[in-house]
Amino acid sequence: MRLLASLTRRLLVAVPILLVVSALLFTALRVLPVDPAAMSMPPNATRAEIEQARIQMGLNKPLPVQYAIWLGRAAHGDFGQSIHLRRDALRLVAETLPATIELTGAAMLVAGILGVAGGLLLFALRDRKAELVAETATTVLMSVPEFIWALLFIFIFGVLLPVLPFTGRLAPSLDRPVVTGFLLLDAVLVGRMDVLMSALAHMVLPALALGLAFSTPVMRVLRASLLDVYHEDYIRQARLRGLSETRILLRHALKNAFLPTLTLLGVQFGFLFGGSLLIEVIYSYPGMGNLMVDAVRNADLPVIQLVGLTYCVVVLFINSVVDGLYQVLNPRLRAR
Amino acid sequence: MTGVSRRGLLQAALAAAPVLSQINQAQAAGSDHVTIGWPSDVPSWDPDQRFAPDAQGIFKMVFDQPLDQSPTLQLVPHLITKWQLAPDGRSLAVTLRDDVTFHNGDKMTSADFRYTFFERIKADPKLDIGRSWRKVTDIETPSPTTAIMRFSSPAPTAPVWLAFLGSFVVPKTYLEHVGADGFRAKPVGTGPYKLAEYEMNARIVLERNDAYWGPKPALKRVTIEIIKDPSARVAAIQSGQIDLTISVPVREVTRLKAMPNLAGELNPITRVILLQIRNDEGFSDQNVRLAAHHAIDKAALSKAFYGGAAVPLSVPATPGTPGYLADFKFPYDPAQAKALLAKSGYSLAKPKKIRMATTNGQFPSDYDIARAIVAMWKKVGLDAELEVIEYAKYFELNRGDKLPEATLYSFDNATGDPEIYTGYLLNPQLPFSPWKDKVFGAKVIAMFNVADEKARIAGWRKLNREAVEIGASIPLLQSVQTLVRKKSLAYTRYGNGWVLGQTMKWS
Repeated sequence: MRLLASLTRRLLVAVPILLVVSALLFTALRVLPVDPAAMSMPPNATRAEIEQARIQMGLNKPLPVQYAIWLGRAAHGDFGQSIHLRRDALRLVAETLPATIELTGAAMLVAGILGVAGGLLLFALRDRKAELVAETATTVLMSVPEFIWALLFIFIFGVLLPVLPFTGRLAPSLDRPVVTGFLLLDAVLVGRMDVLMSALAHMVLPALALGLAFSTPVMRVLRASLLDVYHEDYIRQARLRGLSETRILLRHALKNAFLPTLTLLGVQFGFLFGGSLLIEVIYSYPGMGNLMVDAVRNADLPVIQLVGLTYCVVVLFINSVVDGLYQVLNPRLRAR
Repeated sequence: MTGVSRRGLLQAALAAAPVLSQINQAQAAGSDHVTIGWPSDVPSWDPDQRFAPDAQGIFKMVFDQPLDQSPTLQLVPHLITKWQLAPDGRSLAVTLRDDVTFHNGDKMTSADFRYTFFERIKADPKLDIGRSWRKVTDIETPSPTTAIMRFSSPAPTAPVWLAFLGSFVVPKTYLEHVGADGFRAKPVGTGPYKLAEYEMNARIVLERNDAYWGPKPALKRVTIEIIKDPSARVAAIQSGQIDLTISVPVREVTRLKAMPNLAGELNPITRVILLQIRNDEGFSDQNVRLAAHHAIDKAALSKAFYGGAAVPLSVPATPGTPGYLADFKFPYDPAQAKALLAKSGYSLAKPKKIRMATTNGQFPSDYDIARAIVAMWKKVGLDAELEVIEYAKYFELNRGDKLPEATLYSFDNATGDPEIYTGYLLNPQLPFSPWKDKVFGAKVIAMFNVADEKARIAGWRKLNREAVEIGASIPLLQSVQTLVRKKSLAYTRYGNGWVLGQTMKWS
């Protein structure tokens, strides 16, 4: 109940944040040297026709009035129409968001597993000669951006050892079931194991490329937290009680050291969500990042605006969930 | 002990490898499926809405155009069996096939033809197709299989336009019933394939239309994977995940075609790469414009960026098309360039400063070509500041008179007609041309009304030469379509770069 109340409180706080972000986005996009009216018309439209389109779109009104109109419509679920695709912007985002959430979720899992495992390994190697090697390895991992991993994985697992697919979400010979838009879930709902296996296989490389780059900060923070925790009295007392080092690590130290790591994972999710943009293009993954790249290329302002807001909503939501979890896991905060 | 042994793991991995490999592979030779890797998606499933040259081939699998083009680009009958342009060019009488049905079973008639090329475009000014058929004042439909298009002024290229870009016949009854959104969600055409599945920016799955009026495609299913990244397309064809792809780097074609199961092609197409020129600011002086042209070594550009396969052009038209002048060559002559600049008071010590724009990634090696040109200009006394723009911004900048003196541009003209080259590239009233000179512009505009075919072609050929001689256009290269396919996959090669699933078969 406490978690739910905390989540509700944080989501309510998110409303004014969203308003500020939407206003900033709206202003920034209108200040850009791009004419949405002209972009909405065929290339050889006359100036008079463009002016007419400008009036129809309300672009002749002062900026605050334009924003108020946009906000009024947005409150009713109308986020405008894509200038380039001439389709409802909200529907476009709704169609592409599930793929991005699935991919980001899988990448988060990769980052979490590798991060925790790597963090424990780094900690275990402390004060040994191998520590330097491990430190260097994590530095290398951290220095390589996700798109380089993406290309490298395509080369290794797609071309050199052609064992994993790297384009799209499904094998060409399979039909895609459409129930919720979440392919993994849909495959389960319609009982198609072949689709599920193919979707999972298509997700491995992009999730690995995206997750790997984000696993190293988790490793380092976890290691640092563990080093801090090991200076605490209760660790010493646990040793005096004769507990094994493994038990001390897993039952006592990790639980406390994990809290900063959890906060980091929450923050990382925002970056991970943003980082999916390039990965989606490289792996032809039909998510919101791919939509955003197209929208920027075509100066499709309504879509850019809505995708930007969606990123904001997702990040706020995840941060709220992580904050809530933090309260649940941290006994000192629970007691307040 | 129930633990997993290393041997067990190894055995499991070996067992899984073929399964994973199956997941990974596109269709093998002998199947009735093909998987194509395509660099861009369709702008929407309404073919009349947004014109995109790369989408025309995809649309041609689902929809039909009134007329078609042969692989050598001759106009050939399609939905229209006969057509007759009036001597004054103000009307076009057509006869339609009477055995064509849309994918939903509706029969295609002249009412659909009238709806597509008249009623619909008058109702929605935002449709791109409306811009191509501005001159249409009415379409009479004396019978379900005949129609007469009426034009406000001569329309000599009307038959050509019936086979160009977004001129696809759409179903009147269905579209009026489901609306534009409904049509885009579930498009219905008359083409050889039906849209079975579409996932934006990911894949298009087409199933053969067994009720097709024309020759039945050999392949039952065509899957088009949208792979925007050129490196990923290269990897996909090399690994066997796709069967055919286009627009891969030239050096990769050379490498891939050396592989035993792949064939690589560098196909010159009807797309021209040129510099679009302003007639004012830093290029108001003809000497400077001509010097800029003489300073460019087009053969070197072709060799460096297209393996020598891109033909250097001296006019804005490609070899084999009516407007091409085989006997006219504009020479690469740096000495002449220097002399022309000297006449206007410029030299290496006192260079003429201009601006140049280019896209980056819109067509193969665009940015590199622009940088090479800037370097060539520098050697004769032209100091160009290079700016990168998005393709979508070209029209907006031009409309606002904000394009720089020269812009590197790739112009597609699948028809090869000279009006759609020079007429569009240099007509000051159209959005493609930064050249706004009224004297030359008037000559271009006048050519749009010449109905006599011989006089029309002769006129455009003359203007092509004049455009280059006065420095209104700097044509560079005939564009090259790079294509890699499995050797066992045959397809029909079109001079305009169309790659159509209905022409493919496994050998």
